[in-house]
Amino acid sequence: MKIVKLKKDNLFPFLEAIKGDAELWAPVKKDDAKHTFQPVDDFSQIDLDYTRTILPPRKILLPAKFNMYQASKSEFTSDFSHISKKIIFGIHPCDIHAFLTMDKFYSYEIEDPYWLEARKNLVLLGHSCWPDENCMCKSTNTHVVEEGYDLFFTDLEDTYVVWIGSSRGDDLIREKPELFEEDLTDTDIQKFIQRRENRDKAFTTEINFAAMPDLMELKYNDALWEKLGDACLACGSCTNVCPTCNCYNVEDRPVLGKDFSNIQRCWDACTLENYSGVAGGENFREKRADRLKLWYTHKLQSYISKYGKPACVGCGRCVATCPVDINVKTVAQSLDGNEVDSFWDRLSKEVTK
Amino acid sequence: MNTENKITAQSNPFLPEPARIVRTYPLTDDVHFFQVRIADMEKALSFRYEIGQFAMISVLGAGEAPFSISSTPSRPGLLEFCIRRAGAVTSKLFQLKENDFVGIRGPYGNGFPVEKMQGKDILIVMGGLGAAPLRSVLLYCLDNRDLFGRIILLHGAKRPAEMLFRDELLDIKKRDDLEGYLTVDGDDTGQWTENVGVVTTLFPKLENINPENTVGVVCGPPVMYKFVLQEFLKLDIPKDQILMTLERRMKCGVGKCGHCAIDYIYTCLEGPVFSYWDVTHMRELI
Amino acid sequence: MSKNNDKKLKIGIYELTGCAGDGLLILDCEMELVDIFQAADIQSFLMAKSDNIDGELDIALVEGSVSTEREIEELKDIRKRAQVVVAFGLCATHGGIQARFSEEEWQKNLKEVYGDIEMSHTKAVHSKPIDEYIDVDLYLPGCPVSKDQFLNFLVRALGGSPPEVYPNPVCVTCKYNENDCLLLKGIPCLGPLTADGCGAICPNHNVPCYGCWGPAEGANFTSEFYLLQEKGFDMEAIKKRMANYSGTKLQEFFEKFKKESQ
Repeated sequence: MKIVKLKKDNLFPFLEAIKGDAELWAPVKKDDAKHTFQPVDDFSQIDLDYTRTILPPRKILLPAKFNMYQASKSEFTSDFSHISKKIIFGIHPCDIHAFLTMDKFYSYEIEDPYWLEARKNLVLLGHSCWPDENCMCKSTNTHVVEEGYDLFFTDLEDTYVVWIGSSRGDDLIREKPELFEEDLTDTDIQKFIQRRENRDKAFTTEINFAAMPDLMELKYNDALWEKLGDACLACGSCTNVCPTCNCYNVEDRPVLGKDFSNIQRCWDACTLENYSGVAGGENFREKRADRLKLWYTHKLQSYISKYGKPACVGCGRCVATCPVDINVKTVAQSLDGNEVDSFWDRLSKEVTK
Repeated sequence: MNTENKITAQSNPFLPEPARIVRTYPLTDDVHFFQVRIADMEKALSFRYEIGQFAMISVLGAGEAPFSISSTPSRPGLLEFCIRRAGAVTSKLFQLKENDFVGIRGPYGNGFPVEKMQGKDILIVMGGLGAAPLRSVLLYCLDNRDLFGRIILLHGAKRPAEMLFRDELLDIKKRDDLEGYLTVDGDDTGQWTENVGVVTTLFPKLENINPENTVGVVCGPPVMYKFVLQEFLKLDIPKDQILMTLERRMKCGVGKCGHCAIDYIYTCLEGPVFSYWDVTHMRELI
Repeated sequence: MSKNNDKKLKIGIYELTGCAGDGLLILDCEMELVDIFQAADIQSFLMAKSDNIDGELDIALVEGSVSTEREIEELKDIRKRAQVVVAFGLCATHGGIQARFSEEEWQKNLKEVYGDIEMSHTKAVHSKPIDEYIDVDLYLPGCPVSKDQFLNFLVRALGGSPPEVYPNPVCVTCKYNENDCLLLKGIPCLGPLTADGCGAICPNHNVPCYGCWGPAEGANFTSEFYLLQEKGFDMEAIKKRMANYSGTKLQEFFEKFKKESQ
């Protein structure tokens, strides 16, 4: 793989050079110190000192709501108008892994053009990160990326070491080759390796993901699930912030005064009450415990057999989001037989049913 | 990054094909029959499907929903559906008349394993709306009569007026290459000349079943499965030769929207047809 | 679009006890108003027109809670005339703020405010949602209902379909808007318990949701109750907050809860 160096002062000129008419999305700090991916024109808004954004970057490819097609009496017309050239700068390894998993998912058996077309129009510029106590990517083996990005920037104080991951990435460098240095010094290499080692040591959370498929199977009827079901607020947040969740609903929205409908695709979440309802009022998963089982089956078990790795990429967003502590970290630890101090474990046993 | 953005998706699997309702009439109070033809003649004839597959039907202003195909692929060109009024889509669909447009997408799902069924005796047990997918199986077997051994049909309904395809089946029953038994839970007409009792009361009538060479096919209301499966097992039909078709909520039909997931199986891709052996592995179903 | 008035949907919009905010919202759909009046035959809408007809209707939108005996009669008459009755806005769907009291408390309040005065034109009754008196076909909650919900209902109704209802909690939109969860900060937000549709307008501005769209389907009141208790709020404070907009629909829950915590 080709590796180059970029002085930090040269970052904005480089972004300026490659942006063109594309939309550049990058992490931006909100007032409350949390980060979100936002389209930026003023690069000074970019804040790379972040651990995770509230929503994962899949929102950039498939927004919460968009038109799939227009339906009239006897004609159906595709609508891809939400897709345009985009660059994501500052995306972390876990989220890049999530994109790779979603690529497989959306190509499985039948291709989903809404994801794949958006993906073709996307440039991914990754950025190194530092773990906090909720990062589980070392356990899911998604803390480093070998593929899936065009360029990957590793922060070495005053410079970036830039790995070129695709021929398109190489082309981007060629837009302004004078900003880059070709040769890495021994000191650079030492710094890079030292950083990697220090980062590996900084992970404080270890989850035994290899054991999860068996544990999910063995503990499918464990009392744990009832406890989780009693505590779950069914707010759908764990699902909405998960970078590998993909469920959606379709709505037919007629346009007032016109004779056509917009057929809209909008995010859905299997943890929500209405998700498994069918016409006629029956609901296949009325119990919160059953819906949680489905979600955790998908995160900890099912993708392994189909795509070779768990759906969870260890980003820790569900940990940072759930008000009642139901997340991959606590659930996996409990399944593994550990004592977990969490709201759902303290919740009164005599809760009103 | 200044190259012009062109969407190149050749075919969009989510886009329905305009189709016209050719015929529609009530089968019962709340179940209507729809015969539909894709408007583009070439596409209508090249719409290939397997028995047990389903299609998505969309109705302008109401939405889209999955329906089992009730016609047989051995009679191409027209698609037939047997639909119960249940939600927004079907309510609007019931208001439509002949020559009105709907959208069709599909076919989706795995369908019945026809090759494995060939040469076998086929025992079809259907109740209520279970007739929607299994009529396709029945007609297919009859259209390809030489490919199968015995064909046995057990069909149950609550009352004579609620029996789907009653006249068609009474007619088919007269054939001498088919063993057909129809039953109703109760006869409120006094005109019913067939069996009275739940569908399992028909099983004692079956003679000389060779279980190793029999494929049992069942579809009906949830309560029916349990009892029919017991009867199949009593006959010693192997679990992987017992086939059933399951219904779930679906929004895409192509394994993307997630709604039909049972455990980690997407019923729209790996189903809706499962063997009893498959189903014993699917925890959420039991 | 049909120019023939006979073929248009006949719609009546009625106001019982409430702030009339839901009717006002219809008038606030300024960009769509011409289309609305062109597409539908608005037979009765006191706030918008004077030539109101009380005849047969395809759809009646009823706003407000039932708070007087005359309103009971009026409501029953609307039911007789309309094919479809829609509870329009929180007061109609849940009773609204005026329905937050138990029958006992209400009697006491009435006496305190009006004393023993005999009402001349109609008698006040304990405020209730409209489904306490008539069958309701559709519920469009909200305080007020949102434009999006109303317009979606209307366009689907014009085509002969019920609206797509997604009874998700406020948290869903709140998360789409990438708000940091207020519950995590120890702020008593009712987002998980409340029907969505407002666009999470309060949490968007760091103000906790106070439940003005009424309870979401399948909401877990018990868990949120314990969660708020753990965050240091006492039972009365939580109850007050939760009961504000849930009208009569949560009273049973609170009774049960009270018994268990005693």
